[in-house]
Amino acid sequence: MAETHVANTQLSVRDLTVRFPTTRGTVQAVNGVTFDLAKGASLGIVGESGSGKSVTAKTLMNLLPRTAEVSGDVIFEGEDVRQLAEQGREHFWGVKMTMVFQDPMTSLNPVKKCGEQIAETLRYHLKRDKKSALAEAEDLLEQVGIPEPGKRVDQYPHELSGGLRQRVVIAMALACEPSLLIADEPTTAVDVTVQKHLLDLLDTLRRDRGMSMILITHDLGVARGRCDEIAVMYAGRLVERAAPDTLFGDSRHPYTDALLRSIPRIDQPSHTRLEPIPGRPPELINPPEQCAYAPRCRFARPDCLESIPQISGVAGMHEFACFHPANTDRGREALADNLAQGRTAAGLDVTDLGGPS
Amino acid sequence: MTEIQSTGDDSRVEVMVPDKVPDDGMVDDAVRKKLGVGFWIAVGWLGLLVATVLLAPFLPLDEPNKLGAGPARTGPSLDNWFGTDALGRDVFARTVYGARVSLVVGFIAIAFGMVVGGSLGLVAGYFRGRVDQVISFLFFTLLSFPGLILALLITSTFDRTLRTVSLTLGVLAVAPVGRLARAATLVFAEREFVQAARVIGAKHFRIMTRELLPVVLIPMAALALLGMGVAIVAEGGLAFLQLSVEDISWGVIINDGRGIRDLQENPHVALMPIGVMFLTILALNFAGDRVREFFDVRETAFQK
Amino acid sequence: MKQFILRRVAQLVLVVFAVTFLTFASLNLVGDPLFNIVGVLSGIPDEQCEAVERGEISDTQSSGLNMGDCALIAQAKEQNNLDKNVVERYGIWLSDMVSGDFGTSFVNGDEISDIVRERLPVTIRLIVLAQIVALGIAIPWGVASAYRANRGFDKVSTVGSFGLLSIPNFALGVILLYFFALRWQIFPSRYENAGWWSELKALTLPALTLGLGLAATYQRLLRTDLITTLQEDFVHMARAKGMSDRHIMYRHALRPSMFSVITVFGVNTGALIGGALVVEQIFSIPGIGTELVEAVLRNDPPVVISLISVVAIGFVLINFFVDLMYGYLDPRVRTS
Repeated sequence: MAETHVANTQLSVRDLTVRFPTTRGTVQAVNGVTFDLAKGASLGIVGESGSGKSVTAKTLMNLLPRTAEVSGDVIFEGEDVRQLAEQGREHFWGVKMTMVFQDPMTSLNPVKKCGEQIAETLRYHLKRDKKSALAEAEDLLEQVGIPEPGKRVDQYPHELSGGLRQRVVIAMALACEPSLLIADEPTTAVDVTVQKHLLDLLDTLRRDRGMSMILITHDLGVARGRCDEIAVMYAGRLVERAAPDTLFGDSRHPYTDALLRSIPRIDQPSHTRLEPIPGRPPELINPPEQCAYAPRCRFARPDCLESIPQISGVAGMHEFACFHPANTDRGREALADNLAQGRTAAGLDVTDLGGPS
Repeated sequence: MTEIQSTGDDSRVEVMVPDKVPDDGMVDDAVRKKLGVGFWIAVGWLGLLVATVLLAPFLPLDEPNKLGAGPARTGPSLDNWFGTDALGRDVFARTVYGARVSLVVGFIAIAFGMVVGGSLGLVAGYFRGRVDQVISFLFFTLLSFPGLILALLITSTFDRTLRTVSLTLGVLAVAPVGRLARAATLVFAEREFVQAARVIGAKHFRIMTRELLPVVLIPMAALALLGMGVAIVAEGGLAFLQLSVEDISWGVIINDGRGIRDLQENPHVALMPIGVMFLTILALNFAGDRVREFFDVRETAFQK
Repeated sequence: MKQFILRRVAQLVLVVFAVTFLTFASLNLVGDPLFNIVGVLSGIPDEQCEAVERGEISDTQSSGLNMGDCALIAQAKEQNNLDKNVVERYGIWLSDMVSGDFGTSFVNGDEISDIVRERLPVTIRLIVLAQIVALGIAIPWGVASAYRANRGFDKVSTVGSFGLLSIPNFALGVILLYFFALRWQIFPSRYENAGWWSELKALTLPALTLGLGLAATYQRLLRTDLITTLQEDFVHMARAKGMSDRHIMYRHALRPSMFSVITVFGVNTGALIGGALVVEQIFSIPGIGTELVEAVLRNDPPVVISLISVVAIGFVLINFFVDLMYGYLDPRVRTS
């Protein structure tokens, strides 16, 4: 699929699978995830907690616990990332590939000054001396739009607001001029009012520096305007991948479809009923050999319970893993059958919600 | 639990799942609620010790103070299991009789600490306010004396009978036990079952003894086992300062055998009782630790 | 913060009063200090001397007294303020103490301040060395066991620290003395001080005796705190910044994990002072503990009171400074 623009590919993930052995059984956290990311592009990974999006990011960053069993390939600028991890490669993570975490309240070391924490990266990886590292830190703080950077370098994290702290975290991540930034729900823990500013900042920085970015979020709306491509994950699998406009206008996977229906949209008449997704996310321990979404899916037919749907569709353009995709004839047929029976093959009661399907 | 929130301007879907992917490999090492084999071995050792002490008069042991129970300064043999000391006394017999004093001191001390410290802590935690301030200051002051110094002060001003030494060490136990009891009471006094008792108009004394005491006793039980070990060690320390009971205790025997010449020529006089003492403290600590874990008392409750 | 310090200082002063008064009162009420100065003469009932004073009887053989006995007693009482009640005497003692006059020994007339000046430094060196040994062992040990928690090394070290905690310090002292001083003769068996090197060698075994058990205490606390800290986001962040594990353990995780250790540091200094009494006996160290025990055994209340007060005040002060340490460890405490 990605072979068409391989020269331009920065990150290529192939069939990534992550399992955690526990005493209750093996947690299948990530299952055969495959995607490519072009240089300077941005990819949004959207999914619920437990969908495997954060585990995917942690795998890329070599942050998984030792007990994790990983298979598949992760190639970054021609280098095998998993091999680098095994060799204990230094000055790779934090330099070429960095990550911004969800909660700025806890992702800064409470006992170190902000400036020190940024300077530390520079000193550790680029062997700067203390003074120039601190000066650079101040400069970085200014770049991420922190007022009075000279004062902030000498402040402790707890003296700053959540929004400012997340900017410090971003400055820290940018210190060594990485070519890929992974942002794991960067705005979930900050005030709604500053979320947009932070996202715009990330976007601007990415464009200015020609950096690629993976934006992990549970929020389709966040990913929409800021990503070149959106990948939707469910129960450890990539279920749909497309450009934002395609995804929002012509989604295929019933899960994506349901997500879109559960958020308010400007183009719908006001008072349109928002539709919650019935049921709960599946157990990741010993899941049955069936479509993981089937129990919650309004389109589920008997074949959905017999095998796991594989990725299909137009490679590199619009891919999805579903036997009865929404907004297609097969999907409409399935829904009509289910409506006629009043329930899906998995036993979910369905009623007509109206609107296009 | 699936929960979907929507906010007006920016579309948000928040689906929260209680089950997160384990962050480290330890999630499943949840404490299996069992006291375990080690606990019963420890209890077995303590039981054996108590039985030996109780039966000592009926066992074929030498008089602990009999001179010439064997030739002086001999190593362990069939006749004298732990050998003999410089005066030809049988070290095994002395160790058994020493156990009596050490165990009695340890037991009385911790019992005193439990009764006095426990009541004070319970009262402080239950009534709070002024009462709590006064009692807490008392604990604070007691803890401001380095323990052994306080013991030395008391035994040097009074006498060195078994009773005085035991009660002295009991005084040392008051503050740590009291603090734990107070902390536990503060927590439990807020719980529904106590509130309920208050609502139906139960008397303070009744609430404290019937409702609070039983639950507060659980963490105290663990501390009691550990504290008994501490008291036995403290008695040994006093013996080294020649300020403990004028009788045979483990500390006294070890102190007898620690002279340079004794250590050079017949180290077993000191090392044998040290071994027995070590096993006993180990057993007490281990049992206490297991009890604490069993009832899931936080470790921090024992600090300070 | 200012208020916090003020409150702690007030508490500190109160405790110092309580401790010194308790010591003073117990030794003065229960013991008989007069006996130590005038010996058996202290047995002469007060009424008899009062009668002599009033001229009702004369202090001759017939009344069982010697010429001048009563005068001697009166002089001794006055010199040592024994004619006043305990509270008054405590007041006098305290004001003397504050002005640096510790009084003299009843038994040999030595200046107590000289005793303190001579003996205290040795004990302080011993205790400092013991703390250095304890922390020097506990920090790398705790880091190593928390790094791979519940794995091989950690499991072994849990057993090891449990064992160390169960050895009474006097027993450990005897064992170390036996093996390292007598059998293998690596260290001296008695205190000696011909220059700092010989003193350091002489204090090594005593410091190990005191420090090993403490190291186990610290290691357990540090391990627990570190395991908690290692689950913090900022540790993940540091890993994402590409820092090496060693760098993260020592530069990021260690300092925020030192709270429990610092908290018990003060309390354990008290335990060390008690332990020092015993260890000084075993290794014949001329520290304040040895002197204290001697003073107790020779029944010398002024020395006992002063030494206990010095030790107790020192202990309270250490705990006070430990509380201030929190501010350094966690800047959040400083501002709140």
